[in-house]
Amino acid sequence: MAAAPTRIDVLQLYRSLMRVARQFCDYNIREYTKRRTIDAFRDNKILTNCSQLSAAFSDGKAQLEVAKRRALVYSLYAPKVKSIMDIKPS
Amino acid sequence: MASSTGLSLKFSPLSTSFKQNKVRGICNVNSVSLPSRGMRLGSLRLRVSCAAKPETVDKVCSIVRKQLALPKDSPVTGESKFSALGADSLDTVEIVMGLEEEFGISVEEESAQHILTVQDAADLIEKLVEQKSA
Repeated sequence: MAAAPTRIDVLQLYRSLMRVARQFCDYNIREYTKRRTIDAFRDNKILTNCSQLSAAFSDGKAQLEVAKRRALVYSLYAPKVKSIMDIKPS
Repeated sequence: MASSTGLSLKFSPLSTSFKQNKVRGICNVNSVSLPSRGMRLGSLRLRVSCAAKPETVDKVCSIVRKQLALPKDSPVTGESKFSALGADSLDTVEIVMGLEEEFGISVEEESAQHILTVQDAADLIEKLVEQKSA
């Protein structure tokens, strides 16, 4: 069994997920990733059980890997037209 | 650059006053270390970084307010700690992310963990913006 993740590890995972979210070209996917990580980390904030903590942490790490791969692939096929939400009001 | 000369000017009076305190001997050190908290000289000597621009501090305050959903008239100054304003560590990470996006900088992991007050964040931002433009 993996040791329970430390507070620093959890915060680093949070930061990495937010950074990956920023790399997405699509507005919707970017906002979803940010929203999902915020919701998931806040829901799991109250966990104290060691096995639940390590399960949630490894789940988060797996999601981070998925998100990194997806961000790379999406950037190869980025649409030319940006979403209306990305265009700042001039 | 004008900003770097400004920095050096700010540092020199602090260092000369420090040397003078050392030369004067033990009796002066005792008088400074007395719990007379009104002595600004003692608190100034502990500060390593110079003060950030007020516009930067204002921008940081507005981002903090938006993130923590604080009302507009709540007191958010340079000295307010994030934990005192009701932010937990996840909120602090989000605030640092927001600051990175706003100022176009990239904060390191270790530096981000040492940010405790609004003033810390503003000083770090100033340093990174200077490094980026230099």
